Amino acid sequence: MAHAAQVLILGAVLGGVFALMAAGLTLIFGVMHIVNLAHAAFIFVGAYIAYLAFSGLGIDPFVSLLITVPALFAVGAVVYRLLFPRLEGTPRFTEATVLLTFAVALIIEGTLAWTFTGVYRSTTPEYATDAFILGPLFIPKGQLYASLVSIVLIAVLWGVLYFTRTGHAIRATMQNRTAAQIVGVNVRRTSTIAFGIGLALAGASGSLLSFLFTFYPSGHWQWIALLLSLIVLGGMGSLRGALIGAFVLSIIAAFVTDRFGPTWSPMTFFMALFLVLLVRPHGLFGKPMEV
Amino acid sequence: MALLELTDVAAGYGVAPDILTGISLEVEAGRTYCIIGPNGAGKSTLLKVICGLLTPRAGQVTFAGEELNHLRPDQILARGVCFVPQDRSLFGDMTVRENLMMGAFLERDRARIAERLERVLTLFPALAERLPDRAATLSGGQQQMVALGRSLMIEPRLLMVDEPSLGLAPRLADQIFRTIRQFPDLGIAVLLVEQNAVKGLECAQWSFVLDLGVKRFEGPADEILADPRIRELYLGRRVPPPDDDGAVDVAPGEAN
Repeated sequence: MAHAAQVLILGAVLGGVFALMAAGLTLIFGVMHIVNLAHAAFIFVGAYIAYLAFSGLGIDPFVSLLITVPALFAVGAVVYRLLFPRLEGTPRFTEATVLLTFAVALIIEGTLAWTFTGVYRSTTPEYATDAFILGPLFIPKGQLYASLVSIVLIAVLWGVLYFTRTGHAIRATMQNRTAAQIVGVNVRRTSTIAFGIGLALAGASGSLLSFLFTFYPSGHWQWIALLLSLIVLGGMGSLRGALIGAFVLSIIAAFVTDRFGPTWSPMTFFMALFLVLLVRPHGLFGKPMEV
Repeated sequence: MALLELTDVAAGYGVAPDILTGISLEVEAGRTYCIIGPNGAGKSTLLKVICGLLTPRAGQVTFAGEELNHLRPDQILARGVCFVPQDRSLFGDMTVRENLMMGAFLERDRARIAERLERVLTLFPALAERLPDRAATLSGGQQQMVALGRSLMIEPRLLMVDEPSLGLAPRLADQIFRTIRQFPDLGIAVLLVEQNAVKGLECAQWSFVLDLGVKRFEGPADEILADPRIRELYLGRRVPPPDDDGAVDVAPGEAN
């Protein structure tokens, strides 16, 4: 019993971080119908920034959020303006974004490899290897802190979406792009901000990933596969679905790892994806849509 | 000077050929106009061009003396041109209240927004009790009320409504038309597209007749239906159902 509780804790404390990663990806899809295959690559950019700040300047990964979040927001706004407006209105927009973001991911990967080589990196703050001991159980400090920060950031995102003018514009654009234009939302500006927010969340995830996992330039492909399965599972564009999906799958994956070994852990995500899509083709919280 | 003026406007989608060609028309403030014409005449396209959802390929759209051609939809709305599309384009997952409030997105004065919300609810009392419900759960008639109510939240000077009666039972459609007839009293010019020409023309003072992307002719609404050219236009393409309930443009027995 204690053992099961321990596995549950280990899964849950990673769930928050998965949720943060998935939130940005699903937001970008929801607002602009862009499938951002470069999302994990941008997370890695955040991780490498955190790594530089930590190893060069001794800045704690949590403090590096103050760098990665605004930096990636700016990158997002610029990348959106440079690449996507000219594709708008093309009949196969979403398909085109898959190719385009695939190329962006390759460019990022190449640039990271050229700058940092292929060596495995991570930041090593003290809490990364420390834990709270609660009787027979332990809670890894780094993962707990990372999950708590993730939950706070997701709460901030929720607050922005529901209580600010920009948030209303973003939600309106997600639900009905034409209707948003009709009520006076500047959808291009809103999309730029939403893409920026999506990548800001990726940047934040990068800071957290930097001490939770080791990373190397081409490692982002494993992550994007996992994140895509998460948001498809939750229903693409559904924030709630992505969050619930992240926690549930993270816990299931922890049990699978415990029972069958870590090799099988990633498979949990894809198995769950197949099973859910068999029953609910639009994901847990998704709706049928035209693209 | 006319409130809205179109001069030789041409427009189309993507790389496809022009849907509208050489459209010129004028709309005066505070009057109601109805655009009629057979399917595919370009009626909806014309409204999309005016509100900026579609950029004209040629010609000029001016509103209150200002050219709109290269403005974004939100900029055109800010100048007082509001559009209610055929599909009503509501935010299905938002409540009725949120939908109405989104209509006032460009307005920042809270007192004014509250005032307008009250006026919309006076105009559509049925919406008052549905305020907390998701828009997607409403009936077609109520959704049309939300769409019209939302457009009034910005106090437009020109309101363009595309097929307000589409998919509505006759009784509900009548109710919607009755409301639309009140708009000129609020100082709003109305540009109506309506497949049900009889109903549409009853609301309007003036009518434009479109066919295959060109304006065939125009005239006072009450004279248009009697115009022999109308019958020729419609009867050539459409066979009305035998029991004409006013939903078709011209009853077969009348054609002569």
